[in-house]
Formats: sequence, C-alpha cells, structure tokens
Amino acid sequence: MKRSYLPVAFLLAVLMLNLIFTQYMVHQYFYEHYTNTIIAAVINVILFPVAFLIYKKGVNVHD
Amino acid sequence: MTDKNNKIPFNEDNYTHNINRNNERKLDRRGFMKTLVGAAGVFAVSSLPWGVLAAKELNGLGDKKYPKHKITDEKSLPIGDAVDFAFPGEHDSAILIRLSEKKYVAYQNACTHLRCPVFWKKDEGEMLCPCHHGKFDVNTGEPIAGPPRRPLPEIHVKVENGAVYAVGVKRYEA
Repeated sequence: MKRSYLPVAFLLAVLMLNLIFTQYMVHQYFYEHYTNTIIAAVINVILFPVAFLIYKKGVNVHD
Repeated sequence: MTDKNNKIPFNEDNYTHNINRNNERKLDRRGFMKTLVGAAGVFAVSSLPWGVLAAKELNGLGDKKYPKHKITDEKSLPIGDAVDFAFPGEHDSAILIRLSEKKYVAYQNACTHLRCPVFWKKDEGEMLCPCHHGKFDVNTGEPIAGPPRRPLPEIHVKVENGAVYAVGVKRYEA
C-alpha cells in the first residue's frame, strides 16, 4: 500500500504549534500574565495526546 | 567421532555471518513520526513546571505574609528623621525614613555589599553605609555609589490611626 505522508505533515504542524505555545508561555510568564501562561501550558500538554493519536492513525491505516 | 570437536563449524573466517546491520540507522517514516511524538511529549512535560509556577503566582503563594508590625507613632517622627526597627524577624534590622508629611519609606538596612548597617544622612539626603561608603537612593533603595550593586529590600509601610506599620517586604526582582 502506498504510504501517506499526511500524518507526518500533521505531526510537523503539531510540533510547530508546540514551539509557538512554548515561547508564548515563557514570554507571558515574564510579562506576569499568569493566566495566559497556564492556558499555553495546558495547550502544550494537550498537543501530546493529539500527536500520539495522529501517529497511531498514520501507522495503522497506511503502513 | 574424533573429528567432531576439531571441525570449524562454518566455512567462514568469522562468526558474525548472521549479523546484518544494513540500514540499521535508516530513519524511515514510522521512526520519524515516533521522534515527532516524542518531541511533543518533551514539550508537554517541560510545560508543566511553568504552569505550576504560574498557578502559584496566581494564588499569591509567592508573597510571604508577615504579621503587621508597629514601627512608631507619626507624632514622634519629625519630617526628615529616621527610626530603626526590626522586620520581619527580630534580627532583620530595618530603617524607616519620613520624607514628607505623608511619605514614608522603609528598607532593610543591611548593606547589600557586606551587610553593614546603612544610615540615613539627613543633610545629604541619601543613605550611607559607612563601611565602604556605599550610598543608596532614599526613594527607591537603588545603590548609587560605592561597592553595593543590588538595591536594599524595601519594606511596605502603612499609616493607620497616627501610627506607622510595616506590612510586608517587597519581592526581590533581579
């Protein structure tokens, strides 16, 4: 079966979001906007299971 | 039978014929995705301490609470004068200076150089550490001359019913 590189692209997008939210989180912490810091941290944590699901789907269906 | 133990088991000059390491380090699509998921996990875990610290700040746990401490009565401290006290502990000596009718400033008066006591020079309008002639700005506690490089820790004061109280210590900001 032909491999799909769509999951790889999604995972790269997730990683990009991780980078963005991590930097946002650190900056907001030093600007003392602690609510925003917590929001960014929660998003970062949620992105991990999302990445894992993308991986699972990508591996089972197309490989 | 005698031959059995003297025979070389394989007709090869080494015993690594069944070890195949071709493409061992090749990163295929699946491996690459695994790496990406792992990276997402690292990001998630490294976010946790920031969230915890931010929650701590939001709940005000970073500010230590001290019981308020009466320093002096307003009447007994003329404008321009200073009085020594101890806050928050009995060995944390501090100084209260009355700058005007309403304006009081208070600092822990251990010099940030070598912890000599800092004195209020009324006629020069600055705080002086006599050990090495460190000088501090009276309005902010910032060092303005001499060896000290860090500001004096400021103590928050409050005036109530004609008396001056110390209510807290300003957090250190690097």
